[in-house]
Amino acid sequence: MLSMLPAPDSIPTSWGYFQFFLLLTFPLHLLFMNALLGSSVLAIAAHLQASQKSKALAYELAKVIPLLIALAVNFGVAPFLFLQVLYGQHIYVSSILMGLFWIMIIPTLIVAYYATYWYDFKFITLGRNGVWVLSFALLCFLGIGFLLSNNMTLMLHPEAWGAYLSNASGTLLNTQDVTLWPRYLHFMVGGTAAGGLFVALYGRFLARKDASLGAYASAIGMKLFLTLTVVQIAIGTWFLLALPKAQMLLFMGRNGLATLCFVVALLLIAITLFAAFKQKVYLAATLLAGLVYLMVFMRDFVRRGYLEEYFSPEMLKVVPEYSPLIFFIVTLVVGLSLILWMLRMAFTPLLK
Amino acid sequence: MNYPVWYLPETGGGILIAVIAVVHVFISHFAVGGGLYLVLTERKGLKENDAGILAFTKGHAKFFMLVTMVFGGITGVGIWFIISLVQPAATSMLIHTFVYGWASEWVWFLVEIVALIIYFYTFGKMDNRTHQMIGWIYFAAAWLSLFLINGIIDFMLTPGAWVDSQGFWIGFFNPSFWPSLFFRSFFSFMLAGLYAFLTSAFLKDPRLKANMTRYSGKWALISLLLMLPCGYWYLSVLPEPARMLVEGQSPTIQIAGQYGLYALIITFVLVLLLTVVRPALNNKLIAVLTMIPAFILLGSFEWTREAARRPYVLNQIMYSNGVTIAQADALQGQSFLAPAKWASIHEATNQNLTLAGAEIFKFQCYACHTIGGINNDILPKTASMDFPAMTGYLLNVIHKRPYMPPFLGNKLEAMALAAYLVGDLHDKEVDPALITASTDMGQKLYNDNCVGCHGIDIIQDWAAELTLVEIIAGLESLSELNEMMTDFSGTLQEKQLLAGYLKSVVTPPSSPVIDGKSVYDQNCVGCHGKDIIVAWAAGQTESAVSASLAKLGLLNPMMAGLSLNDQERLAMAAWLSAEQTGGK
Ligand code: HEC
Ligand code: HEC
Repeated sequence: MLSMLPAPDSIPTSWGYFQFFLLLTFPLHLLFMNALLGSSVLAIAAHLQASQKSKALAYELAKVIPLLIALAVNFGVAPFLFLQVLYGQHIYVSSILMGLFWIMIIPTLIVAYYATYWYDFKFITLGRNGVWVLSFALLCFLGIGFLLSNNMTLMLHPEAWGAYLSNASGTLLNTQDVTLWPRYLHFMVGGTAAGGLFVALYGRFLARKDASLGAYASAIGMKLFLTLTVVQIAIGTWFLLALPKAQMLLFMGRNGLATLCFVVALLLIAITLFAAFKQKVYLAATLLAGLVYLMVFMRDFVRRGYLEEYFSPEMLKVVPEYSPLIFFIVTLVVGLSLILWMLRMAFTPLLK
Repeated sequence: MNYPVWYLPETGGGILIAVIAVVHVFISHFAVGGGLYLVLTERKGLKENDAGILAFTKGHAKFFMLVTMVFGGITGVGIWFIISLVQPAATSMLIHTFVYGWASEWVWFLVEIVALIIYFYTFGKMDNRTHQMIGWIYFAAAWLSLFLINGIIDFMLTPGAWVDSQGFWIGFFNPSFWPSLFFRSFFSFMLAGLYAFLTSAFLKDPRLKANMTRYSGKWALISLLLMLPCGYWYLSVLPEPARMLVEGQSPTIQIAGQYGLYALIITFVLVLLLTVVRPALNNKLIAVLTMIPAFILLGSFEWTREAARRPYVLNQIMYSNGVTIAQADALQGQSFLAPAKWASIHEATNQNLTLAGAEIFKFQCYACHTIGGINNDILPKTASMDFPAMTGYLLNVIHKRPYMPPFLGNKLEAMALAAYLVGDLHDKEVDPALITASTDMGQKLYNDNCVGCHGIDIIQDWAAELTLVEIIAGLESLSELNEMMTDFSGTLQEKQLLAGYLKSVVTPPSSPVIDGKSVYDQNCVGCHGKDIIVAWAAGQTESAVSASLAKLGLLNPMMAGLSLNDQERLAMAAWLSAEQTGGK
């Protein structure tokens, strides 16, 4: 259905800048999303245990969950912006085809967000019912993730867009795509695993106030990470095999850079697992962040592979205007400096 | 054209945007003004060393965080989602033009989040100076977000010089940038006061409650007074067509304007009551009641701003249905369906008229009209028209309406859309022959009888000077013109058709003059029945009627865009006088 593909608009700076910002910011979104999933799963798990210590951990996690939502959303905005600049004619179309579901993300997120604040501010009074509240929020997050996976794959399949001609009411999904489920599970299981590492890190922070609570948090965080990573390796293999041959072979030598990413990623997984096994939290977390970046690069190779026959961002017409880019970079530097200063002010007394 | 349309005919995308946008805007302005309110109120508490005020500020900060970060932040993403679903072409253009503006706004959004979280969670735990500083950073970031988004929103209504020389800064600092920025800033300070009425209402200590109510009232009152001149300034920079719509051409905007005015007055009175007269009166109910008119005020402002750029989504650049002016120009008289990427039918034929018409409605009219919905329902608007009138309206009238884009497509497509609207939606009779007959039959008669001997040009010269009646007379006595010809011996209807055709090739095809009735069908039927015109013409001479028809805009501003030429006016005046005598 090549003829359905809308004509793209021109861009003000070379496409490489947008690609750079996209690949820079998207992993940050994933990292916060992972921390959110892991914290929610472990808060629920800890809350269900009888011990006082596990309840205390659930409460500590309750405090960070809403903040993680705020950051996950914020860091979703930036890559979604750059995605629209590079692939607007794909992402707008796929969003419209699933419009009703797509817009439902907003009310779902609002409700889930309030649920997590409720869980936090009313932790004591809610008691055991809190588990229901947070589980509900977690279910919402998983649902939103499913819709995101749908949209991000539907945009890659212009040949499937013909379905619009018989259904224009925005209730299409991309469920006929065999890669959808492994891809979705890859994100959710992998994300929860990585979230385990976040809880382990958080445990190190908690340990300054309460050593045994901190140790407990680190221990169950690491356990979640190790267990789910093993599952994740199986899902990752499934995902790789589900990809169309052309995309799969990108990582098997057809594209040098993609193959390099793949090999380094495999190595990193091994080292990260080893570090986690040795309970080296900081090392494992750092390696994992690197791994998420590599995964995002690989994901980008897959996307470009899928779209090869239709479009590539190099084709976008550039009508050069660089001053807004400079304005943005200055804004970014000022904004980040302010954030660093504020974080220092906030954390210095806590870390003392 | 370029993008699929998310089609919910009974709902309409416009209302979805409106609902999310008004809610978001009501909160996001609070997020700006409320930030300033927080730091200054905290400062007041510190200066007066009043623990009550500080505790109030902290409580207000919690409320503020829950409202702005959750509801405000996520509905902000919601607006972005919904505009890209409903107006993908315009969104794409805004995103691509202003990408680094959006990106910078994202930076401030991040700073806001971090600052607000730290401000709330360290309240009372950090040294005062630093805590105040964090509050100031929050406010600065929130206001800068407004600054950035304001440029992009205003661009949609007043792109100004951008239309001729595209460029980020020209578009960003567009003609309504500054008035709108000031208007919105003061509005946000006013809202800060109103929201604080609500948190004050929860205070237990009556002295503190009255104190904070009066203090918050001063915020609202002063900001409201400063907001007014900015609103006036804003109106004064609107481009002419938008101002005409706001000042009366569009009945719906007039209604919105009235609501806005009443809402303003009620807000003012309530604020005055709580501030100057009796702060002690404040309670949860009153506080909420004060917010409602403010909500309506903002709603009518945003609604007017959106409606004033009709028929455009990006003023002077792109129509609401996603077709750019340049595309519309290129499509003049061409088939609309053939190049329409997402249409399921690419050619209208006599067999698929209704289906093709439904597609055209989806891609051209649905952007502003629902079918049976709340917003600008097409059903009552088309109820008075029959098939020929509707076709005539699409071909001759719609492009003269100030708030609608021109109809795009060829004649058969106009008939298709008319067939859908009249035949399908209103279940009336549709007979394509009625329309194809008049010109096509005439042309056929011409081809059958005249083409053999000479071209159209000499007939044109002859017919140019004559009225229809004279042409018919001439056809009956062709032999007198030249003995080579025999008199035309068709029926009276055939003579009329042929004469009509000859006349139509003489006068420009857009205004084929036949008689007053068809002038009426093509120009007036869309808005009112003929009775009111006949009644109006009663007792006037034909020449007086014809003269008044030249100035319809004086009778009612809705008709300002209508222009009839001399022949049309004379024909109409004649028809009106005949209708009267006929009617008696
Ligand atoms: C840019 C938005 C827009 C688009 C697109 C649009 N309309 Fe309208 N239309 C309006 C508005 C606004 C009114 C008048 C509402 C009012 O204020 O009463 C109107 C009024 C009408 C009327 C009543 C008569 C008149 O002239 O006021 C008809 C009939 C109509 N529209 C048909 C159509 C058809 C058919 C299409 C598609 C070819 C269409 N419109 C596309 C905005 C639009
Ligand atoms: C866009 C809609 C629209 C169109 C098209 C339109 N009118 Fe009107 N017209 C109005 C409105 C609105 C009024 C005031 C209605 C009322 O008072 O009920 C009005 C009033 C009038 C009046 C005054 C009646 C009176 O008693 O004062 C006359 C005469 C009139 N129109 C003639 C025409 C003629 C002739 C045409 C076609 C050439 C035409 N109109 C086309 C909207 C329209």
